[in-house]
Amino acid sequence: MGTNLLDAELVKRVQAGDTAAFDVLVQKYQHKVINLVGRFVSDHAECQDIAQDAFIKSFRAINSFRGDSQFYTWLYRIAANTAKNYLASRARKSPGYTVDVEDAEHFEGESRLKVFDNPENLLLTEEIKATVFAAIGKLPEDLKSAITLREIDGLSYEEIAEVMDCPIGTVRSRIFRARDVIDKELRPLLE
Amino acid sequence: MKHQDENLSLLLDDDSEADVTAVLDEVVADVNLQYRMRRYQIIGEALRNELPQTIDTDFHHGVMAKIRQQSPNLGAHDKQADQVNDRGIVVPLLARTWFRPFAGLAVAASVAVVTVALWQPLQQQGGLPNDGLASVDQQKIEQLAGQQVVGSAVPVSSRVQSGTRWKLEQESPVLQRKLNAYLVNHTEYSSSIQGLIPQARVAGFDAE
Repeated sequence: MGTNLLDAELVKRVQAGDTAAFDVLVQKYQHKVINLVGRFVSDHAECQDIAQDAFIKSFRAINSFRGDSQFYTWLYRIAANTAKNYLASRARKSPGYTVDVEDAEHFEGESRLKVFDNPENLLLTEEIKATVFAAIGKLPEDLKSAITLREIDGLSYEEIAEVMDCPIGTVRSRIFRARDVIDKELRPLLE
Repeated sequence: MKHQDENLSLLLDDDSEADVTAVLDEVVADVNLQYRMRRYQIIGEALRNELPQTIDTDFHHGVMAKIRQQSPNLGAHDKQADQVNDRGIVVPLLARTWFRPFAGLAVAASVAVVTVALWQPLQQQGGLPNDGLASVDQQKIEQLAGQQVVGSAVPVSSRVQSGTRWKLEQESPVLQRKLNAYLVNHTEYSSSIQGLIPQARVAGFDAE
């Protein structure tokens, strides 16, 4: 999936001092980074903290990114190193939290688990998946094929036009219309 | 002109038709467009089964809040920001600025320690001349050697100079010759640093 132009422009803006552009990068890559960190750390609350730390580190270091590699490759390396460092420091630490019985009610770890690992959050992912697949199922065949070839098979617009034997402008339009239909179903879940 | 949302769709797919700068100007300025872009992103992730176990819709707010909290005056454009090395490890600004002088001091201190450590054995072996570095005791001995003791016919200096070698020469020249021969023959076994004349050789040759 080509995202060079978009990422390059966003990075350029962040380097010029536009913090809002970094917010867009975080939204774009948050799930990928969380998934990557999840390969190192099984606890979801820790995973979120490490991913957050990785984004903060990348923001503070973004001026050193010169575009030799793709932005997401650079970001993934930072995230992987942050996760490895976390594991190394955790291994050095002894037994972990010790909390008095009286303080247990106000223990921070408990609240973090409440925020991230509650049934609502777990359910949301399942609902999103179900909604997207249900919406795809209801799409007309040409839209369904276009969005599937793009998102699952990763074909470029030119390749999809060749496969579907239609002009590239039609492919652009079909993919957008498919996204628009699914988005209308998805929007209530994420607001 | 294409619809704003269609442009967003093209931008996500890095299509050449997308006017990146113009669309991004709108996206960065409009939170609703950012949310739409994220939902488009989520559609792809759901289809590819790449969604995380749980979705925290406020994750990015948390990141941005921490960034503002941790470095309120640090814009990313600031040349003093952190850097990432070739292995993807972030080198913090503090490490690059504060540690440099300390690293220099540490190297200087190490060199000084090594120099002192090497200097002391050399002095103990007597392998180096004591030009200007004579100890206080040595100076006192020399002072005493030059003094005349009142009422005494024997100069102190002669007593100081009459060490073992002088006695041997005076009392047993044969033994002195043997000792000199021994010192010269065993000079190679004496422990001294290369390039410096060992004490045994000095003593032996001096007497030859």
